[in-house]
Amino acid sequence: MAVSPSIPRSPSTTSSSTVPQKLKEIATQNISTGKGVSHPQIPLQNPDYELAQQLNDDVRHKYIKDRKLGEGTYAVVYLGHLRADSASYVAIKKIKVNAEFKDGLSMDAIREVKYLQELSHPNIIALHDVFTSKDLNLNLVLEYLPGGDLEMLIKDGSIHYGAADVKAWMGMLARSVWYCHENCVLHRDIKPNNLLIASDGEVKLADFGLARSFADPYLNMSHQVITRWYRPPELLYGARQYSGAVDIWSMGMVFAELLLRVPFVAGNTDLDQISKINDAFGTPTEENWPGVTKLPNYVSAEKDRIVPLQGRDFFLRQFPTAGSVGAELLMSMCALDPRKRSTASQILQHNWWFIEPKPTKKEDLPRKPGGVKKMGDDLARRGGELQEGPFHNTVRQLDFTAMK
Amino acid sequence: MPPVRNGIPNRGEEDEVCPVCKSSRYLNPSMRFLINPECYHKMCESCVDRIFSSGPANCPVAGCNKTLRKNRFRTQTFEDINVEREVDIRRRVMQILNRREEEFASKRAYDDFLEQREEIIMNLVTGIDVAKTEKDLQTYASENVASIRSNQALEREEASSFQEQQTFEKEQARLRRQAARQEYEDERREMLAGQEDVLRRLAAGKRDDAAAIAREGQKVLLKKSSARRSEEDRIRQKQAALRSSDAKKSGKAVTASQATGDTGLVKGLKKIKTPEPEKPYSPFAGFTTKRDYYTLRDFYPSSYLEPIRNDTRMQAGGFDLGEYYSRTLLEAFAGLGCFIGDEVSKRDPTSTLGISKPATEGAAMAAVSTSIANEETA
Repeated sequence: MAVSPSIPRSPSTTSSSTVPQKLKEIATQNISTGKGVSHPQIPLQNPDYELAQQLNDDVRHKYIKDRKLGEGTYAVVYLGHLRADSASYVAIKKIKVNAEFKDGLSMDAIREVKYLQELSHPNIIALHDVFTSKDLNLNLVLEYLPGGDLEMLIKDGSIHYGAADVKAWMGMLARSVWYCHENCVLHRDIKPNNLLIASDGEVKLADFGLARSFADPYLNMSHQVITRWYRPPELLYGARQYSGAVDIWSMGMVFAELLLRVPFVAGNTDLDQISKINDAFGTPTEENWPGVTKLPNYVSAEKDRIVPLQGRDFFLRQFPTAGSVGAELLMSMCALDPRKRSTASQILQHNWWFIEPKPTKKEDLPRKPGGVKKMGDDLARRGGELQEGPFHNTVRQLDFTAMK
Repeated sequence: MPPVRNGIPNRGEEDEVCPVCKSSRYLNPSMRFLINPECYHKMCESCVDRIFSSGPANCPVAGCNKTLRKNRFRTQTFEDINVEREVDIRRRVMQILNRREEEFASKRAYDDFLEQREEIIMNLVTGIDVAKTEKDLQTYASENVASIRSNQALEREEASSFQEQQTFEKEQARLRRQAARQEYEDERREMLAGQEDVLRRLAAGKRDDAAAIAREGQKVLLKKSSARRSEEDRIRQKQAALRSSDAKKSGKAVTASQATGDTGLVKGLKKIKTPEPEKPYSPFAGFTTKRDYYTLRDFYPSSYLEPIRNDTRMQAGGFDLGEYYSRTLLEAFAGLGCFIGDEVSKRDPTSTLGISKPATEGAAMAAVSTSIANEETA
């Protein structure tokens, strides 16, 4: 008998916690009754495989695809809804099968499934189900977030928001990052693009395509993660062993961007990014960051461009809207030395959340129509990419001058 | 109109006489009569000036001992002094008892309130239980200052928005009329031009073409006018849509203030929805940092991990052994606290009843088939 327990099970058997158990029962029942009643003469060739397929079909038939929301090189995103309830929208992200990947699936998809399955938090996008369609494409059934993303709100000059709104958004972001870290997951691609907004205004961290769990000691991790503008200096210097502090830096950059409404340090290349960080926050030296010169890709700054480490005054001056306490919090997120950066839980315990102005209630947060399309695009993108447009360079130049 | 009680003669009559100084309009055509809502005795402007300029004084009418002040004197609106008085009272009471329909739990309660208000007004007008009614009114007013004020503001807002709406509509109507007139003019001019054109072409062309030219001219005109009509329809629809959205907006504003309670005087108000006391901001939003089965320490002695503490490169990259500790401990204890037996028994009975047998059957079959497979491979 050609029974092979190694035939890949559908991921849906492991996806949500309660449903598969029941489905399994139904499936086995169907199989056994099918065997007993309608086809008594056909021996059951491959119960395991049959079961997997049955479960997958059950999950697949739970949803109906409506229309395409967005398409990227890596995935297509559809709007869908439950077969049983046409008002319950979901986003179905169909990962394209691509020959260039081992087993035809990109690591991003596997990572996304692996970590989103484990994380369940109001500020993290929910993965409802996973199934394969006929052409063996992987489909992720994700939470429907029609509010667009934070980048859209930052860029739209017609939308006005204040310190209270920033506080509310940052609070939700900090919670999601803290929850990831608490469950030993590094997100590694935090940026306004990946902070989607639900219909009730809740911000949800999405795109776990670059996520991984906390590393074993002595294990090299990739330093080519996190979109450049949000990448911390230790990754730019090629550190292979790092910690959750990388996400905190990204969070600090998002915070700064929310306050300034332009990316705070937006380098054209990795080297440019390093020099911009030097100029903005101070030059990393052995004094303020012991061991920095030992990092693989460390480049020493030119003598004439050495900037002393920026203190509180700088942050206060640069981000007056945050107030002195907010500036202090931002500074603690933007420490050059990752060991001196606050952890997510320290950030959440910071005094800034408790002082006036109180964070805006999520229903009252500013929002913008047209978020559905944006969600489609966001989910279809691969992790770590800057959004390339036709006038990409021009925009960046403008941003740069605006910042200075 | 018949002469009214109290012998107040019709205004404008030549023989009007001031009851105080007895000067008549015949002698003084510019004479104006004033009243004071304290006692509603009428007197002429010069009397008011004469008597009350030097401060409050008693009413000069015999038998009336009310103290009047000059600044309260005003011209009479209604001929009948009783009507004047009732309107004044009504206005004052309505200003205090200014609850709105949407504040009441039911239509019935609102009607009761209206009746009660009417009763109070009538009491004050006809002088029944004046002292008690006044007292009730005053206590109500002092207890519900906030609600009274907010309702007044709402009323003012409504009035002004109503006014705005009126002027807006008038303006719109004017524009529409103007457009229609303009259009009519245009049409007429075009028709004339078309006719002239046709005539000119008829004059220039051959005899055979005559019918064709005439038909063509007709068609052009028709086309133009129908195009105009559809354009007009479109504009009209747009305006209608705008109007309806405006209405919706104003409807929303009305329901905004409803945070008042039942008072002694007014019954049947909606229960106050006490806004939940604002909870202090909880940064973790209810999630805990505590682990059930272990407490994480900062340091665990291990010769395997010791080199990391001394590796400057790893340290500079920010590698945090604490994270490794937390992950390994989390993974080590992850399965604890999951009791499959409990979960099975908690399942709803309908699903377990019919299914338990086949499920075990399936499992047994899977076990058998794998064992066969094992035998084969062995």
